[in-house]
Amino acid sequence: MEGVAMKLPSFKSLAPAAISVASTFSTRRSFSFARRSSSLSAATITADSEPASLGHRARKDFRILHQEVNGSKLVYLDSAATSQKPAAVLEALQNYYEFYNSNVHRGIHYLSAKATDEFELARKKVARFINASDSREIVFTRNATEAINLVAYSWGLSNLKPGDEVILTVAEHHSCIVPWQIVSQKTGAVLKFVTLNEDEVPDIDMLREMISEKTKLVAVHHVSNVLASSLPIEEIVVWAHDVGAKVLVDACQSVPHMVVDVQKLNADFLVASSHKMCGPTGIGFLYGKSDLLLAMPPFLGGGEMISDVFLDHSTYAEPPSRFEAGTPAIGEAIALGAACDYLSDIGMPKIHEYEVELAKYLYEKLASVPDVRIYGPRPSESVQRAALCSFNVEGLHPTDLATFLDQQHGVAIRSGHHCAQPLHRYLGVNASARASLYFYNTKEDVDSFIVALADTVSFFNSFK
Amino acid sequence: MNSSSLNVLASPPLISTLTPTLKAFHRINFSSKLSKRIRCMHDPSINLNFGSRSNPKHDFPVSLATAFVEAPLGTTTTTSADKLHLLVSEFRSLTEPIDRVKRLLSYATALAPLDDSARVPANRVTGCTTQVWLEIKVDELGRMRFKADSDSEISKGFCSCLIWILDGAKPEEVMGVSGEDLSEMNVGVHGKVQSRVNTWHNVLMSMQKRTMALVGDADVEHREGDRSEPHPHNLLFDYVNGRSYVESSSKVDRDYSISLLPLGYDFTI
Repeated sequence: MEGVAMKLPSFKSLAPAAISVASTFSTRRSFSFARRSSSLSAATITADSEPASLGHRARKDFRILHQEVNGSKLVYLDSAATSQKPAAVLEALQNYYEFYNSNVHRGIHYLSAKATDEFELARKKVARFINASDSREIVFTRNATEAINLVAYSWGLSNLKPGDEVILTVAEHHSCIVPWQIVSQKTGAVLKFVTLNEDEVPDIDMLREMISEKTKLVAVHHVSNVLASSLPIEEIVVWAHDVGAKVLVDACQSVPHMVVDVQKLNADFLVASSHKMCGPTGIGFLYGKSDLLLAMPPFLGGGEMISDVFLDHSTYAEPPSRFEAGTPAIGEAIALGAACDYLSDIGMPKIHEYEVELAKYLYEKLASVPDVRIYGPRPSESVQRAALCSFNVEGLHPTDLATFLDQQHGVAIRSGHHCAQPLHRYLGVNASARASLYFYNTKEDVDSFIVALADTVSFFNSFK
Repeated sequence: MNSSSLNVLASPPLISTLTPTLKAFHRINFSSKLSKRIRCMHDPSINLNFGSRSNPKHDFPVSLATAFVEAPLGTTTTTSADKLHLLVSEFRSLTEPIDRVKRLLSYATALAPLDDSARVPANRVTGCTTQVWLEIKVDELGRMRFKADSDSEISKGFCSCLIWILDGAKPEEVMGVSGEDLSEMNVGVHGKVQSRVNTWHNVLMSMQKRTMALVGDADVEHREGDRSEPHPHNLLFDYVNGRSYVESSSKVDRDYSISLLPLGYDFTI
């Protein structure tokens, strides 16, 4: 436990008595832990020890959070749209370009060998992050959307026949609906949608009943970016495999926030985006079981994914190269590896624990504001919400709300349909506002948000 | 019309800075329907709800300028371009962003209500993050009449301003307003952030598109010759480049009509 805390990059103890023993990145190994532990509480460094919560400590690594917008301190509550990147990730990207930028996989010279090593090491880091058994099960893509399209066009087009069923939920992100619509049009497969139950989560019983001999694929989110609910993937996989169906998990909102173990979940495909997990934009990945990837035809054609090229035909490479045509986003992949390192150094269980607490705090505070309707399940003993809330204020358009929050208070939230139009239609609204937190947010951020929200509501009410 | 009344009437109703002029306005003899709707505008802290809400029976906007336009032909010399410039300078005079938002919200309350029957998909303005409905018709004098509504107060404010500028205008005037002119408004948002400005553009595009569709004859083409070079980002550039407007207007109803790219942004290299 102490070891994990020690490795926190550029960690500086906030406890006043220990400040003179400033722990810098280079001296952390020789840091006198005994001295530090005597000046802090007996609980040492836990995620929620006052005053140095994980959020307070982590903020130091994110320079972008320390700025003013429109005359107010920035309060960034849009991490579900994209996360901020710590200095370590930015350094990794800079280092790549400054010291060993070179094209990968085919070069002989030193720089190329180094770049290739780092690139494949990044692949290993991602594989380890989600506990894949082999790094060849990780295919780098541009983002999760491209990863889902890869499965749709490569696996879907060659495995779906007329009458086959693909099960989705109404709460899916557009990236997990539109590719299947396109593929079902081409193959004659049928899309079926699980609706929500009275707790505003996808109806698991309905999902179970929908799975039949005709089902070939179940493509669902792990954590919803609007409802903040999570689905029991392990159970869903069991039901799907019973009928010979595959499962694709959209883990964009889960991989950054909690431990995701693909072997434990036993999912066939899993996708995530780097930019939501402290990595750069322009890179994401698909996890696919080896035997599945081996049987899949290519998605994009070009260099890197071929074995031999003739004028009239070509032979293709083994996965994952088969699905990585052209020069990859090398620097970005390496930076994603650095992001995985950064998150692992803090510890995903710790991050999750902190966020569960933040999620509860956010929900309670938001629910106490009058005329606010939060979507998704109520938190309880059995239901844990993700650290985000999509909500609407009676009589106030979420876009007006977000505009005012930004302009007058520097609070950044998102408004719109959050790439989930069918879900909003199902809920009977056109748009909603969403505040989403990450481990670099603090309870003070939530407090600022609530104060700003109350001010916004009263401002617009004064015009009624 | 003498220049003083022109000055007054050209300004939207709620300008507290123009109080003296407004007082002058009260003395001008106008239709009784209009004077009933003028509330005291001297004290900005008074509830700026202009009265269109409390009187559900009336069916025309409270805007002074609109009443002005409904006056007999030949008495008006204010063009849409003039009104636009006045509105721009009005908003420019408000240096605090919150004052611009407040002004916009005041205009929102002044917007004439839209019948429920007009809230149909055909009247939806596409591409806005909020819902905006726009009703448009040509009156017996060949002028364009607009009514709009939105579920967002800020968007309603935008619509209210646009309608104040364009309601009762001739079709050429409607076509002559460009997206760039609107970005001058800098309303409700800091800097020239494009995302809310999109509402302006989308509503304006819709007004122009549907004006074209309604005013369907060669006369418009003929009158177009007097107009200055239209804005290159105008959706109906086909028309402007000499192709038949019938052809181009049918083209603009394609499925791929939304762009998330910032409108008004100069993409040329």
